Amino acid sequence: MKELLKTRINGEYIEMEVDPSLRLVDFLREELYLTGTKIGCKKGECGACTVILNGNAVTSCILPVMRAMDAEIWTIEGLANGAEKLHPIQEEFINHGAVQCGFCTPGMIMSAKALLDANPNPTHAQIKEALGGNICRCTGYKKIEESVESAAERKRKGEF
Amino acid sequence: MANYVGQNIPRKDGWDKVTGAGLYTHDISMPGMLYAKVLRSPYAHAVIKSIDMSKAEALPGVKAVVCYKNTPQRLYNASATMVTTNPGEEPVRDQVTFGQELRYIGDEVAAVAATTIKIAEEAIKLIEVEYEELPAVYDPLEALKEDAPEVQPARVMKNVCGTPVEFGMGDVEKGWEEAEIIAETTVKLPRVKQAQLETHGAVASYKGDGNLTVISTTQTPHPTKMILAYALDIPESKVHVSNPPYVGGGFGVRIGLSGKAEIIAAILSMHTKKPVKYEYTRKEDFIASDTRHGGYITAKMGAKKDGTFVVLDTYAVLNTGAYATFGVELLGVTGACGTAGTYRIPNLHYKGLPVYTHQQTAGAFRGFGTPQATFAIETLVDDIAKQLNMDPIELRLKNITQPGDNWWFPFPVGSTGLGECLKKAAKSIGWKEKHGKKQEGHIRRGVGIACGTHVSNAAPFCVDYDTVYLRIEQDGTLVVASGIPEIGPGSTTGLLQIACDTIGTSLDTAVMKYGDTDSAPFDIGSHASRTLYAVGSLICDSGKELKDQILSWAADYLEVKKEELTMEDSIICGGGKEITLKALAYEAHLRGKQFVTSGCKVPPNSPPWHAHAAEVEVDMETGMVRVLKVAAVHDIGKAINPILVEGQIEGGVAQGIGWAVREEMTYQEGKGFYNTGFHSYMLPTADEMPEIDTILVESGDPSGPFGAKGIGECGVIPTAPAIVAAVEDAVGIRFHEIPLTPGRVLKGIKEAGNKI
Repeated sequence: MKELLKTRINGEYIEMEVDPSLRLVDFLREELYLTGTKIGCKKGECGACTVILNGNAVTSCILPVMRAMDAEIWTIEGLANGAEKLHPIQEEFINHGAVQCGFCTPGMIMSAKALLDANPNPTHAQIKEALGGNICRCTGYKKIEESVESAAERKRKGEF
Repeated sequence: MANYVGQNIPRKDGWDKVTGAGLYTHDISMPGMLYAKVLRSPYAHAVIKSIDMSKAEALPGVKAVVCYKNTPQRLYNASATMVTTNPGEEPVRDQVTFGQELRYIGDEVAAVAATTIKIAEEAIKLIEVEYEELPAVYDPLEALKEDAPEVQPARVMKNVCGTPVEFGMGDVEKGWEEAEIIAETTVKLPRVKQAQLETHGAVASYKGDGNLTVISTTQTPHPTKMILAYALDIPESKVHVSNPPYVGGGFGVRIGLSGKAEIIAAILSMHTKKPVKYEYTRKEDFIASDTRHGGYITAKMGAKKDGTFVVLDTYAVLNTGAYATFGVELLGVTGACGTAGTYRIPNLHYKGLPVYTHQQTAGAFRGFGTPQATFAIETLVDDIAKQLNMDPIELRLKNITQPGDNWWFPFPVGSTGLGECLKKAAKSIGWKEKHGKKQEGHIRRGVGIACGTHVSNAAPFCVDYDTVYLRIEQDGTLVVASGIPEIGPGSTTGLLQIACDTIGTSLDTAVMKYGDTDSAPFDIGSHASRTLYAVGSLICDSGKELKDQILSWAADYLEVKKEELTMEDSIICGGGKEITLKALAYEAHLRGKQFVTSGCKVPPNSPPWHAHAAEVEVDMETGMVRVLKVAAVHDIGKAINPILVEGQIEGGVAQGIGWAVREEMTYQEGKGFYNTGFHSYMLPTADEMPEIDTILVESGDPSGPFGAKGIGECGVIPTAPAIVAAVEDAVGIRFHEIPLTPGRVLKGIKEAGNKI
């Protein structure tokens, strides 16, 4: 029994009939073909599926799709939003070597974005805490944190 | 002329990964694709007495149900061991995809392909199986006993996989006579899990004309292709294996098949003639794919009173699980890189047993046995230092291997900066100020140090070689084709840096084709810390040939002597003339010429070196060990791309910290491993990680490309022993079992009583 979902994804208004038992991450990946958001555990424990919903970083793998109703959702695809220039957070991730296998990267970047949107001047501890729900097995987190610090500096300069 | 080597060139796959545009196996979809689910054994040891798949087959949407009755039963080894065992030896082939005898909780019983995952899950529940449960054994020491249940038929020794590994040097008996100080230990090490972020996965498509295409998470496309061809009896020319192109981590868990993802998807595709996708759930990835080898290592070392090491004897009994995979090689590396390389020890003996148990397999995980033995040996070194009242760093500096020393390995010590590594690690951690401090109160701090070595590839211990194609496109841009994957380290960028500096081409437009058995000939794949060193070494050779070819043709075209020509940044000049490679390549095209070359090479080998110093804080009331800082100093010969090298080290340090203080796979008899997800497996998260000071030492290895050595696995090797040494410095107790969970620490403190 499908329901009509009305939502805004990456700035685009979408109306679609969906199976309400679908998880939000499956809706994004399989109905909208936005495969940038990854699945690492399907239990809300690893953060690979992190997207921003109404300004909050959320694990989309444990949210039912109808949570997107009338909500504003941003996925990794929305960050550079098809433009040729990357978002400063994305640039800093590359510059600092914060990307290795890349599987945690979209979720990490969205957690960082949610943090910096709410707090452009986070302390080192606050950055660590904001990323605490995103598991990375490749980097040891050091370069990820450094890239978020650099991105924060660029935010404070007004770049985003 | 180094334009790019040594620079922090932003990695070429960065854009794909930060935008989410890059594809991984889990993102792949094909027309008509079916989804697979697997039924797994609830028993550690059982035989299938009867299996009825009819109800599952009848469920609408189910297209195939398979088990031992209707699948190939040719024995194979799911790891690259299948194709890397040296001539004269035989790999241990002891697994099938679906067997009638099940050997661990999680072993594959049957599988379903259906039009949706939900239907596949429902169908699995409808498969009716009658099991006859059999006695099982879980501990490797127990498995060696005469009355232990047999896991696999013995080749030489009961429940020992393959042949016991044994080697030595000098005269150990004479060594014990000369020894004036002796240290002994038995360490008990846990299984830990790679826990890479992308679980095993494969999309396989078999067509009626006999062609099989597999997209998967493998670290080794070519070996995986060979394994599939062998196990399924298909010509290799009709098998195509690729990464899509990205792989969400590996750390060794998929050198060869990704668990059994590729072969299960392939078999179901052969039954349905449709593409089949099989993604491991996180739970399946945890309980039904290779872990690190845990087990017991007993080691005894003798030294003179002045601290000179004279003898070392090591005996390793490691739990290799129900099937061989890498068991034999790993026990070899445990002895070689873990005991025979770091120190100058004239009298040496090692014996290692990979022991079968009725548990999931253990296989390759970063370090491949070296971390396990290094943990034991570094424990002995600290013990000897304590007995001699000698600084642990001084004792190490006195004994570490130097170029020209008589050592066990069949290749020379190219270079060593290990002494510098030790000194820099000590300085960074504040050794002088912090070591050996008498403390009171229940919060105590300490520092510890450990060092070690490894290899830069698996030659000559295993079959190990690379082939590459290099070509210049008709517009002068460079393409390097290699069968390596990109599983995260960034070697696909580092290798282009090497290529462009060797040939003289611009890096901006240079491209690497990789991860696909169609686009490049054989490569062993990403393992043994080899890719940058070995493939880089080959690219240096082939790159010189390509450059020579270009300049020869340019000399004719420009009517200039070849010796006068140079090429840099894709511009050729000399003899008063100049032409861009872009223009030259097109002129060549118009005259029926493309610049192309190929190469095939067994690499040389050389040891990398590392020293880690750790600072910890122990709360003696709660047993909590907090790692405050790790100084990780690595002699990598030459940093081709320093940021990428640091990334490898820091990731390894995080895994080493996890192994030392948090991570452990706990077995519950009758239930299997307790660790079925991240909630029950305590790997480090960002908020828990300590400060890491990464320091690179460049000793310039004469055998490596631009002086480089291997690095991939090294970051995890000395971390745990450094942490355990730091805990000893803090509380006066040396732990011989990890991880140092609060329970273990409190137990140790209680047992130590008044002694601390």
